[in-house]
Order: sequence, then C-alpha cells, then structure tokens
Amino acid sequence: MYGLSTAHMLKAYVWLQTSDDSIQQVEQEVAMFCPFICQEIHSGMGSSKNYPISLPSRVNPPMLSLILDYCRFHQVPGRSNKERKSFDEKFVRMDTKRLCELTSAADSLQLKPLVDLTSRALARVIEGKTPEEIREIFHLPDDLTEEEKLEPIKNTMDDPRIRLLNRLYARKRKELKERERLQDAEIEEERSDERSVDDLLSFINGSGEDSKGTRNSKNKKKNRRRKDQHKTAPLNCISTSNGSSSRNADMDKDSYEHNSLSGNSTVHGNLLPNLRYATKLQGVENDRFSPEDEFDDCDLEDDIDPALKEKIDR
Amino acid sequence: MSSNVKLELDKLSNLPGHLIDKILSHLSLRDAVRTSILSSKWRYKWVTLPYLIFDNQSVLVSNQDQTLVKNKLVSIVDHVLLLHTGPIHKFKLSHRDLQGVSDIDRWILFLSRCSVKEFILEIWKGHRYKLPSSIFSYQKLIHLELFNCLLKPPCTFIGFKVLKSLDLQHITMDQGDFEDMISSCPLLERLTLMNFEGFNRLNIRAQNLLFFDVGGAFEDVSFQDTFHLAVVSVGLYENPGGDQNLAFGSTCNLIKFFACLPRVQRLEVQNFFLKHLSAGVIPMKLLAPCVDLSFLSIRINFNNKEENLATLCLLRSSPNLKELEMLTRAEEQGTGRTSADPFENFQSFSFNQLQLVKIVGITGSKKELNFIKFMLSNSPVLERMTVKPASTDGGWELLKELLRFRRASMHAEIIHLDP
Repeated sequence: MYGLSTAHMLKAYVWLQTSDDSIQQVEQEVAMFCPFICQEIHSGMGSSKNYPISLPSRVNPPMLSLILDYCRFHQVPGRSNKERKSFDEKFVRMDTKRLCELTSAADSLQLKPLVDLTSRALARVIEGKTPEEIREIFHLPDDLTEEEKLEPIKNTMDDPRIRLLNRLYARKRKELKERERLQDAEIEEERSDERSVDDLLSFINGSGEDSKGTRNSKNKKKNRRRKDQHKTAPLNCISTSNGSSSRNADMDKDSYEHNSLSGNSTVHGNLLPNLRYATKLQGVENDRFSPEDEFDDCDLEDDIDPALKEKIDR
Repeated sequence: MSSNVKLELDKLSNLPGHLIDKILSHLSLRDAVRTSILSSKWRYKWVTLPYLIFDNQSVLVSNQDQTLVKNKLVSIVDHVLLLHTGPIHKFKLSHRDLQGVSDIDRWILFLSRCSVKEFILEIWKGHRYKLPSSIFSYQKLIHLELFNCLLKPPCTFIGFKVLKSLDLQHITMDQGDFEDMISSCPLLERLTLMNFEGFNRLNIRAQNLLFFDVGGAFEDVSFQDTFHLAVVSVGLYENPGGDQNLAFGSTCNLIKFFACLPRVQRLEVQNFFLKHLSAGVIPMKLLAPCVDLSFLSIRINFNNKEENLATLCLLRSSPNLKELEMLTRAEEQGTGRTSADPFENFQSFSFNQLQLVKIVGITGSKKELNFIKFMLSNSPVLERMTVKPASTDGGWELLKELLRFRRASMHAEIIHLDP
C-alpha cells in the first residue's frame, strides 16, 4: 500500500478480524458501508490493531475481500445508476458456491443491497432448470426416495386421465417395493432419474416454461384503465397469449409417461408397449393445439382406457 | 462422488431460512415449489415463502375447458395454502379463468389469520365479486388492489389502520362506504380509482395522501385536508354537458378544485375534466398560485372558450411550470363562435421556468396556432416544443405558420412529429 505517514493523515482505517483470526486494515469509509461494521465502530471498536472488530464467523478472508470490493465501488457517491448496475452485473459472475458464501457473509454484515443482488443471481441460476440440472450445479444430494418423489400431492380430479395416471403411479410404486425387496442393500449411486416427477404438481412441467407472460397481465390492466374495455377477456385469448404453453396441454402426464419409459424399462415389461402407444398418440396431438384436440382427446381416451385397463386391472 | 464430499460442496441448502426465502421469492411460485423435489432438505423449504403469487403462469394449461382450468387453479391454491406455514406478506390472485368463485371467500378467510400486508385480487371475468367481510379485518394491510369487485364493508369495519396504497378498478361501492373507508385509513398515501359504480361524488379526505389517480364518471371531486398531495391525475370519462347545474355567478369549479391542493407538483387533467373545471365564473388567476406545480398535462378542446380561459387561468397561476403537455379533444368542432380568443390578445406573461412543451393532436386551426404562438413568445427558457398533428391534412400550412412565430427563447427547438 502507501507510505504510512501520508496515508494515515488522509484516511482513517479500521481493523477487522476474520474467522481465521487474521487481522486486516481497511479504509474506514469503505468498511462503514456495512451496517454491522458501522455499529461496531460507533461502539468504539476497531480503532487499533489490539481491538479489532470481530467479524461474524460466516465472513472468511476471501469473502471479506469480495465484500470490500463491492463496498469500495458503491460507497463513492458520484456514480450513476447505470454504472452501478453495470458493476453489479459483472460482480455477480462467479461460481454458485461462492455466490452462496457471499450471500451468507453479506447477510451477517447486514449489507442488504449485496444480499439482494446475490440472491437474485442465485434465483436466476435456479430459474427454468430441471431438477437434475439444479442438483448438478449446487451439488445437492439426490436423496429423496423414489416413493417420496412419486407421492402425489395433487388431488385427483374427476378427470379420467388423472385417474389413469394415478393408477400408473400405484402400479409403479408396487413395482418399486418389489424391486427393493429383491435387491441387496447396495447403495445405488446413479438413480435413473429421467422422470421429471415434479410433473405431479399440475402447474409444473418438465420442460421448464419461462414466464414471459407476466407482462401481459399488467398491460391488460393498463388497457382497461385508459380505454375502458370490457371486463370479459375473449376465450381465444387463451391460446394466443400463452402460445408457447399450448403444447403443454396435458404434458404433465405425457412427460411422466415418457420418462418412465426410458428409465426402468426392464421392470415395466409388458406394460411398456401400451404406454408408448398412449404417449405417442398424446404427444402427437398435443403438438398442434386446436379446438379439435378436445374432441380427439375424448376419442383417444376411449381407446386407451379399454386397452390399458385390461393390463392394469389384471 | 461420495456423499460426504457432496455435503461440503452443497452450500446452498445450509443457508439460513430467511435467505432461502429471499432467493425463492425471486422465482415464480411454480419454480419455487419445484424445489421440493431437489433433495430431502429442500422438501419443505418453499413452504415458508412469504410471497404467494397465483397468476396465469401458475396454471399452464391452455385447455379450452374453463371448468377444468378453474378446478385446477382452485386445487393448486388449496394445496399451496394448506402446505404453507408462517406469515404471508403478499398474496396475489389474478388468473384470467378465475371467476368470482366461493373458494375465494374461503381463501380470504384463511388469509385473515396470516398477517397479510399486500393483497391483490383481480377477477378477469364475470360479475363483480362480492368480497367477504373477513377481508375488512386485515389489520396489517399496507397495499390493497382490487379489480372487478364489490365492496360492502360491515358496520364493524374500523378502517385499515396501516394502509398506504389503495388501488380500486372496476368496483362497486356505496357513496357513504367509500368516503368512510378513505377517511378511516389515516396513513393512506396512494389512491387509484378507475371505473367505479355506486358513487359519483369524490370527497377525498386523506391527510397523508401523496398520489391520486382517478378515471371514471363522477359529478364532482373535492379534497379535504390533503395538504401533501403532490401528484394528481383526473380523468372524467363522460361529457358533463353544457348545463352544469351551476347557478349563475357561482364559484368556478377550478377554484374549488385547487382549494386543497397547495403543494401539487404534477397534474394531469384528462378526458373531459377540463370542461368540468371550467364551469362557473373563471377568474384571471387563482388566489394562491401553485408554486410547486412543475408538470401539467391538459386534454383540451381549443374551440371551447371556457376551457381556454380555464387553461389560461391555470397557466398564469403556475409560475414555476417546467413542462407542459396539451392534448386536444376533437369534438364539438366549429361551434361557429368567433369570440375573442383569450390567447390571441394576452401578451404580458412570462413562463420563467418552462422548458418543455408538447402539443398533440392539433389540426392547425387558428385557435391552436394562437396558443402555440402565445407559448413561444412567453417562454424565455424554452428548450423544446414538440408538435404532433392529428393527421396529415393541412400539414404544410401548419409548418409555414410555425416557422413564422417569434420565439422568446434563443435555444428553442421546434420538433414536428409525424401524425
């Protein structure tokens, strides 16, 4: 750094002690940006090497260094919003492990703007990804049993398709129990997890739709304010504004079936061909969404039900 | 990878609960609930989310069968609410297929036990949904937003004591109920009203009101004790008509309107409101000038003499005006009156702070040109005047006239936009 004499006369410094007991000297104006440090200074700590401010345990030296970089930039008053935003965007480009540590450290120092920034960044990482991808990125253990994942949280409605689906779940569960009994207590490292079981919840689907549509609702409201439109939105609005999701009609069921086929194919045995048939038919017709699909669906159901019913109710 | 190593690498799951909530609150409700299958630790992390937003993204089924969609939505809300635990700070329900179903009553009752701070309900279709009385007991409410609802507070209603922001659009309510509600929300700062039925006199009594935006059909709008009101936007959707039931010589509505708006900074006079304001005897200028008024937007019919006078009065009472916007209303053309144009003869006034002027929808009539001329010659610090005609007719004539006008400001630019 600089020579002692001039630097000390121009700037005030505080002493900070991190979790590993190492002590650092930091410009006061930078450190004061953190409310925690500010409070400590006001209670008289940190003015010399013998009485350093003890930082919370979640703040280790690399995190402190990052946080100080952030403070050093933002505590300068003259910066424009654009500059700050630009800095923030570059600042959060780091691996997720560090992002998590940084969030935690910033939170313990009560540095709210940085906590907001990092949590938003983490949310962006999670957004729209499949569970497998998320587990991979964050190193989450895949330790929910197949059963727990399968547990249907959603109530069955009187929709025959849902009933069918639940019947398939029940069958799968039975097969799983059998499999467990047959196997030894080996740890299965790789659970075949192609199935996106989040499809159980009806507003979840495996392909991860992005949510561009939120703007629509705000715009719609604005229109109403100015032009005094009718209250009722026309029916065909449904297919146009959510065009991308039209293909998802019943995709929750489809994906499940699809994925259940690719994994554990040996176990399903002769259930397989019929499921494939069902899925393929469902998949094809959902690709072109039109009012006729409703009609086709009904016909199709009649076809599936008898065929599979036979197998399932064996 | 052995599970021990994985445990060390997994920094995310061990973050404190409030941080996980923070992260999940930046996701859509769908994505947040999906995290429940990530791992055993994540199974119930989402259930403490303080923000629950059910909108068109929550049910991604574009099934044309409305009953099916509606049932799905009801089922989802039920399940989420049942699994949820802890306070709910924000609850939003806005789905296009949601009608005023009785399930909403149930949810509102449930939420009354959850210290809700923000409540947004938008019924896109169907009749006005009558809100259950339990909603009037949300004592922690800070922001309330309702669309297409009917409000009938019970007689035990004491008001929302900490409500700061109220947004009511397409609502029905009694006159008395409305006034009582407004005056019993002492901390109210923002009020938005669009398209309301059941009351037509807006008597706004709110000491802390800062922002007021109204659009609808009403007879009168008046303020009481609103000394901090800074931003006002009023749109009268219906033409008040020639006969405004005012006795000859009575106080101008303009005066009454500004009586309680000493600190107004931004004002928008939209639709037919200027016509309403210009009823009565229009003074030369207001007794108390609007010293804080820096932005003014007026929808005007230049052919109407009273409206011109009212505008002139308002302009003369706004010495610190920085930005002016005039939008024309193209009706009642050619009243045939060739009465003296107030702007033609009035020369000695100076807008010392006016920097921006925008005029939209003009047709190049004499009155409009007089106004532009008036503005140009009385604005010594004008930077930019933007003119946008209504159509391409008479475009050249307009431009020719514009070129001729004297400008008080050396820096003034005149920008002519295409119609």
